[in-house]
Amino acid sequence: MIPLLKASKSALRGHIVRSVIIALLAGLICSSSCHVFGSEVEYGPGDMREGYESTEYETRSISLLRRKGEPADLLRVLQSPPLGLPPVPVPADNPMTFKKVQLGRKLFFDRRLSLNGTMSCGMCHVPEQGFTNNELKTAVGIEGRTVRRNSPTIYNVAYFSNIFHDGRENRLELQIWGPMLASNEMANPSIGWIIEKIRNLSGYKGLFEDAFDGRGLGIETIGMAIAAYERTLVSGNSSFDRWYYGGDKKALDESAKRGFKLFTGKGSCSICHTIDETYALFTDDSFHNTGVGWHASMGDEPADYPVQLAPGVMLRVPTKLIDSVGEPRPRDIGRYEVTLNPAHRWSYKTPTLRNVALTGPYMHNGKFGTLLDVVTFYNQGGFANPQLDKIITPLGLTNMEMNDIVAFLESLTGDNVETLVRDAFAAPIGDRN
Amino acid sequence: MTTTRKLLNTILVAISMTIFVLLPISGQADETNMPPDMIKITGQEDFIYIWTLGMEGVGDEQDKLVTVDVNPKSADFGKVIHSVSVGGRNEAHHSGFSHDRHYLWGATLDTSKIFIFDIHTDPAKPRLVKTIHDFVAKSGGVVGPHTVMPRQDRMLITGLSNNRDHGGRSALVEYTAEGEYVTTYWMPTDDNLQGAEKTGKYADGYSYDLRFMPRLDVMITSSFTGWSNYMMDFGKMFKDEQAMKRFGNTVIVWRMSNRKPLKIFDVPGAPLEIRWALQPEHDYCFTTTALTSKIWLIHRNDKDEWKASEVADIGDPAQVPLPVAFSISSDDKLLWIDTFMDGKVRAFDVTDPFHPVQVYEKKIGSQVNMVSSSWDGKRLYFTSSLLSNWDKKGDENEQFLKGYEWDGKELKERFKIDFIKQKLGRAHLMKFGAYSLYKNNDPITKSK
Repeated sequence: MIPLLKASKSALRGHIVRSVIIALLAGLICSSSCHVFGSEVEYGPGDMREGYESTEYETRSISLLRRKGEPADLLRVLQSPPLGLPPVPVPADNPMTFKKVQLGRKLFFDRRLSLNGTMSCGMCHVPEQGFTNNELKTAVGIEGRTVRRNSPTIYNVAYFSNIFHDGRENRLELQIWGPMLASNEMANPSIGWIIEKIRNLSGYKGLFEDAFDGRGLGIETIGMAIAAYERTLVSGNSSFDRWYYGGDKKALDESAKRGFKLFTGKGSCSICHTIDETYALFTDDSFHNTGVGWHASMGDEPADYPVQLAPGVMLRVPTKLIDSVGEPRPRDIGRYEVTLNPAHRWSYKTPTLRNVALTGPYMHNGKFGTLLDVVTFYNQGGFANPQLDKIITPLGLTNMEMNDIVAFLESLTGDNVETLVRDAFAAPIGDRN
Repeated sequence: MTTTRKLLNTILVAISMTIFVLLPISGQADETNMPPDMIKITGQEDFIYIWTLGMEGVGDEQDKLVTVDVNPKSADFGKVIHSVSVGGRNEAHHSGFSHDRHYLWGATLDTSKIFIFDIHTDPAKPRLVKTIHDFVAKSGGVVGPHTVMPRQDRMLITGLSNNRDHGGRSALVEYTAEGEYVTTYWMPTDDNLQGAEKTGKYADGYSYDLRFMPRLDVMITSSFTGWSNYMMDFGKMFKDEQAMKRFGNTVIVWRMSNRKPLKIFDVPGAPLEIRWALQPEHDYCFTTTALTSKIWLIHRNDKDEWKASEVADIGDPAQVPLPVAFSISSDDKLLWIDTFMDGKVRAFDVTDPFHPVQVYEKKIGSQVNMVSSSWDGKRLYFTSSLLSNWDKKGDENEQFLKGYEWDGKELKERFKIDFIKQKLGRAHLMKFGAYSLYKNNDPITKSK
């Protein structure tokens, strides 16, 4: 029999070590024979594939039945924002109420709100996967249609005025209509069609009237309800916050502290991923050309791609063979598509780095699988192109320094992730019944 | 290639062909893939029911059950004689008969609807009599019903995905023959092996096909991938390192009577179809892995223990031929294996199941997925579509049903139906129909 390429142990040792650490952190505390899991994994991704490149890979799968919901007081963040974050901006015309948030959450996870009943917001923004999708570089929409960009996390989306990777929307209340109507996402044929559909669905009778003081179902109230839920997904009080803003000297380990120094110094990361005096959004909410978009559009296709066929079994598959079963590469010119300003070609919005350890793969097209890949990319100065942002230059970081930055990034996970995920699990998933 | 290698290859092919010619013509039948106690078409099949995917820009763009007359004595031989559109593109995929073979359940991987057709009242004109719309809600979140297997008065249905993350963790769902939900059995996962033995490194919770052998009180399930992968553009998926990690690598042996998993085996690279050997002394079945291109044998040894063994390559695994459907002969001597990417069918002599030997191959089209054979092994049928977004693009996206005759040496084409030219769509699973199953409906019998 013909052996396929097997991943060598030495080449993958680092990955395995990382995998083991992740497993331990996730509460996996047993061998394959006892299968005892810590409670933490119940709100983490249940189909973990770290180390899949290695022949040493072992599954650590979690039953979906363990996905137990527990409603949370989502409005609490309004009275008391978590350490490291400013007060949650709430528009005057859409005040937050319990009923509105509950209704928005129900809509968010209702698969019936798509043309054929298969897609909800929550199918691309999966709670236990950082409210993004860890299993895909770029999203897959209705009937499997290609979405060209990575699903952005909606953690802390309340703070941003530029929404989507290209910033084409500016209010959460309006944002939902993009995916609801896009033919390659939820593919609803019209706004009126959705309104009538919700009106006739079981489980919504009277909910809009209750949530909006008698005002019924309509284009505005649908957007307002979903926005209200999304606005509660605020996550802070991370290890970093407790160290930097809380003064807890033990909240960060030494590697992460070194990483912070590099992040704000030699690495220049904080120029775009901003840290302010009293809070840190880790984004300037603006647009930059790092070369990732340019490279995807203008770069040559490689002659082949590495394809993982099974654990520890990788093969280089000719591009010609792949293209025989693939659509042409989708076009994507970034922010330019919104402004038509040539200076904005292949610029994309700076994402927040809060909870970034949970929200891979990274960049607008999911190009990088790990945080170390991302830091390595910036260390080499991005991809050179005529409009490369001037702040993207080679950094001269050592391997240890890059690992320290990764340690810092991993310290940005909020302390309420479990609470928000469990709350999401408590929401009904709308399916035709 | 050197002259020596060419000579060696020629000799090997000659030896293989000699072995093959010496084999008795065996019965390799799609019928053998069904429960052993189900009524069979032992003579000439009259119809093929093709569960066809709607295709954008082609005809009414809907999924449909297409009936083709395949009786050579019929004036309509090789022609489409009937079609039932069901509404929407639901990713029609596999179908299965009710135990009495009066109904055909057409399952769909996207919307998870199941369409039930009456095929006995008039076998030439199937009629949609019931649609199960609430499979996902009733089953507790199982998405993508795939294999439909009758077991007495129940229908066992494997799912491929779930409504939480559209990933690969899924379940086996049980319905009554009347189409009422009974219960759900989630696939074993590491945190809850449900008493099963994890014999290797993997317990992924994925599922795909299901076949059982009542005399052994055993059923076997395989594992594929979740909605996000099986629905997405195939080329896009190949280039997505995260997506390529989300394939099943397991085969599970279950106690059939109580639906309890017994053993979980590592079978890496997406083991798909399962075919049981039918001879009473043969306690084994085969599966093939789509990504790693292997034949695996799931067998019971002298100590009454179930084992899984990799027994052969299919084509050149380095070229990713992508083995998909296959059929086993009723004497357990031959496998016909389709490979999607090169559009070929390969015949393997599996007289010694631990050492399959390829004895024949033929290119069927630019792509090929399903293969079904008549009970007597003289006729083989092929269809082209794998999944709507995995099929080839452009001119290579041929969509067809092709009928061949097998004379023991060569496959000879008898008819071909172009499913795009006829505005039908993507041709997928085939099931056979015959008047002989329902004697009262035979127009010849009726006229006497």
